[in-house]
Amino acid sequence: MKVYKADVAIVGAGGTGLRAAIAVAETDPSLKVALVSKVYPMRSHTVAAEGGAAGVVRDDDSHEYHFNDTVEGGDWLCDQDVVEYFVAHCTENLVQLEHWGCPWSRKPDGHINVRAFGGMKVERTWFAADTSGFHMLHTLFQTSIKYPSIKRFDEYFCVDIVIEDGRCQGLVAIQVATGKFTFIQAKAVIFGTGGAGRVFRENTNGGIVTGDGMAMAYRHGAPLRDMEFMQYHPTCMPGTGLLFTEACRGEGGLLLNKDGYRFLQDYGLGPAEEKPRNKFMELGPRDRLSQAIWHEEKKGRTISTPHGEVVHLDLRHLGKKKLLERLPLIYEMAEEYMGIDPAHECIPVRPGIHYTMGGIYANLMTETPLAGLYAAGECASNGIHGANRLGSNSLVDIIVFGKLAGVEAAQFAKSVKNTNPALLEKQASAAEDRALALVTRTDGKEKHSVLRREMGKSMENGCGIYRTAPEMQAACEKITELRERYKNLNVEDKSSVWNSDWLGALEVGFLLDVAEAIAYSALNRKESRGAHQRLDGYEHRDDVDYLKHTLAYYTGDGAPHIEYQDVIITKSRPGTRAYGAAGVVADEQRMKEADNG
Amino acid sequence: MAEGTKTIEMEILRYRPEQDKKPFYQTYAVAFDNDWSVLQGLQYIKDELDSSLSFRWSCRMAICGSCGMMINNVPRLGCRTFLRNYYPNKLRVGGLEHFPIERDLVVVVDDFINKLENIKPYLIPKQPLKLEQGEFLQTPEQLEKYRQFSTCINCMLCYAACPQYGLDSKFTGPGILALMHRYNSDSRDDGRDERLKLGHSEQGFWGCTAVAYCSEVCPKSVDPANAINQNKMGSAVDYFLRFISPRGTAK
Amino acid sequence: MSAPMDKRHPYTRSMAGWWKRDPYFIRYLAMEATSVLVAVYALILLIGLFRLSQGELAYNGWLGALKSPLSIGLHVLILLVFIYHTWSWFKVMPKTLPALYLGGEKVRQSVITWAGVVLALVLNLLVLFILAGVKP
Repeated sequence: MKVYKADVAIVGAGGTGLRAAIAVAETDPSLKVALVSKVYPMRSHTVAAEGGAAGVVRDDDSHEYHFNDTVEGGDWLCDQDVVEYFVAHCTENLVQLEHWGCPWSRKPDGHINVRAFGGMKVERTWFAADTSGFHMLHTLFQTSIKYPSIKRFDEYFCVDIVIEDGRCQGLVAIQVATGKFTFIQAKAVIFGTGGAGRVFRENTNGGIVTGDGMAMAYRHGAPLRDMEFMQYHPTCMPGTGLLFTEACRGEGGLLLNKDGYRFLQDYGLGPAEEKPRNKFMELGPRDRLSQAIWHEEKKGRTISTPHGEVVHLDLRHLGKKKLLERLPLIYEMAEEYMGIDPAHECIPVRPGIHYTMGGIYANLMTETPLAGLYAAGECASNGIHGANRLGSNSLVDIIVFGKLAGVEAAQFAKSVKNTNPALLEKQASAAEDRALALVTRTDGKEKHSVLRREMGKSMENGCGIYRTAPEMQAACEKITELRERYKNLNVEDKSSVWNSDWLGALEVGFLLDVAEAIAYSALNRKESRGAHQRLDGYEHRDDVDYLKHTLAYYTGDGAPHIEYQDVIITKSRPGTRAYGAAGVVADEQRMKEADNG
Repeated sequence: MAEGTKTIEMEILRYRPEQDKKPFYQTYAVAFDNDWSVLQGLQYIKDELDSSLSFRWSCRMAICGSCGMMINNVPRLGCRTFLRNYYPNKLRVGGLEHFPIERDLVVVVDDFINKLENIKPYLIPKQPLKLEQGEFLQTPEQLEKYRQFSTCINCMLCYAACPQYGLDSKFTGPGILALMHRYNSDSRDDGRDERLKLGHSEQGFWGCTAVAYCSEVCPKSVDPANAINQNKMGSAVDYFLRFISPRGTAK
Repeated sequence: MSAPMDKRHPYTRSMAGWWKRDPYFIRYLAMEATSVLVAVYALILLIGLFRLSQGELAYNGWLGALKSPLSIGLHVLILLVFIYHTWSWFKVMPKTLPALYLGGEKVRQSVITWAGVVLALVLNLLVLFILAGVKP
């Protein structure tokens, strides 16, 4: 197979991967960067992120507020040293993006405008209309073109990494257009491969979000951390699951049940004021809102549609002018996909899987337990999001830690040499053989589209917004069964040129491994925290036994081996997670304790 | 699938280079729900009828730009075109025109990518700022001057619509020229002169004959025809001014 | 799949008959074709100017020729084509202008088109009015 020798190889050319590539190039232009992506960079799912990216700018805001919001939003499962680094570096990275041309929305005086977002005490969300991820991605992609040391491998599907001498020394990828394999030898590898939302049936994610990097690292012994924490975004389009940004609520949108009642006030998020105060009502955190909608459905107060139970997102009072100015994409989606004019009608919405808080365990410096392998962005679990991510913390996560991963990987690459190439190529060949075996065999009986659908349904039932032991157990067993059936897969298309049947089969393999980590991690966490909520005797948060991260280790055919790891607490001791009026009280209490303690 | 679901006939332009000498249409009967897009129809074919059908897609919400295709001979996004609007007639789906077909609905887009990389599609500021100095100031009015042209999702429908590009692929084409104009119109940018070397040439703005179909098909209302043609006035003025006050080479 | 040569064989479709593919292209070519008749009319007027320079007899001969049924037919065709030409010309005009703002609002391109058409109509009527009042 072809061999390409790079210094740093990056898998994934979304916000994280592009930012990392630029960081390597700026750290040392003599380092050769191989940027590998299974799609053209502008198709990466960063493009679909809408609401914005958080960074402290206002005089009445502070890193401490952002820190507290994030840690509380994460239900104290965050590693606070990482969060401290994070909040201190958000603004400068957003300014860097602006210097590179990102068209952030502005105040009349020309300064950056910021808006309110769920769970944030003060407005600090930078935004570019309601297509912030799109603009960030295109800015990063177009800026990356400036650096001659970045060589892109567009539409190269990474199937495995090469570990030799206890270090990650490269990756193996299929050139999609030819079906041929390339071994990209590297002294450091960065994963910016994104989340795994496609494990679930109804999700906001694009087709490419299949947990590739998570599965690859997992199979080589890196633990997947906190996988049970899958975020349900409260306002998704029924049927397709497409996202209606949280910014709808940041701009003043309301959530109504079938009686036109702002039901969130019944769930500790009130009182309901005409324009929601930050961290009140519709500006509460996503997990709480999704849970409230779930409860409303159980009470029979949601609206029935052919695509399931929905509540109403009311944007009518914003008026057409403001909608077109601040939320043009949302306007277009409602009109084109649903035939609804948001200026005159409410938009039916329901929760859908949106974000993977968990991922490959990475420390503050983005290092994974596999030396030479770095991970950042949604594919990583570095502890900033904890049990529930706040909106607009992800778009800034990818540039803060994408940059750090690039800098760290560059330093590492300069300090090591690759081992004997013959040994590396032997491993690469083995990876090629494994991937080819999937498509060349002719005696398989199973179809990957069937396995994918059964997985999606099972995970939706077993690892939904509220979970019970029997349902989670059923999901675990189902995934185990599906992984077994995967061994008997038949890929009908045997061609070489752009064989998406084969690539789809590889993706289902990744999804199933990640699904297993999610299901078993969920079953084993006997408490409720953030996005992991149980109804079977473990309804409360247990800081005695479970102020810990879940680590899932791959064991091959068997169930993942589960271990626990302490959460790093520095400044913020676990407190009451409260929003609305109760949140104000909890805040005051916390400040009093800080003054006294 | 609900009872009484309708079925629509989709004729897909297939091409498997390893076995087909040239592309041919294959017809599939697709059972669909009323809110299904063409993309969902294609996914149904791939999952249920013929897993060998290849096509690009991802976001499903007209923002990633992957699923551009010819639907009844018109360049459209598969995810934002709905089967109900064609039913009960059959519909024809093929890869974007003016690009070579790689496989089925997948076309070779290297030319577009190369062109994108060639126009210096990044901010070249007048006076670079340090991070500590904060953001460049830009008023909402200044942002509005280029904002529309920055919303291009690189779906290439405009290239499939542009007969000039189809007849001569040396023409830079609508989307990339709109991107050039986006940077030239950004108040923070000072790279106009460098970019206009290409812009003011036959491969640039002057290759356009104002067919303006590009702007018709653009799913994001970028209006590349406007981006290109408003430069012709400036281009002409530039050209004649040269005789009056010769400019040196760009800095 | 383990063969040394890669199996890509991109297929380039022909551009022959491209203009028939889409009604938009047919309309475009029709619009471009109207320029031919614009040129024909300019030629007729130039001939008239030349005849004028040759004296009253030559000029009257030209005027007489214009009155023939064939000529009338041609002029009716030219008039109809000119109307389409005018409309399609003004339709493209907003594409050549940067965005215009009136009172803080962006002027829609259709407004610019209609403004141009109305202006053309008014000017033509004005010319007709003036000519009608000129004594032979």
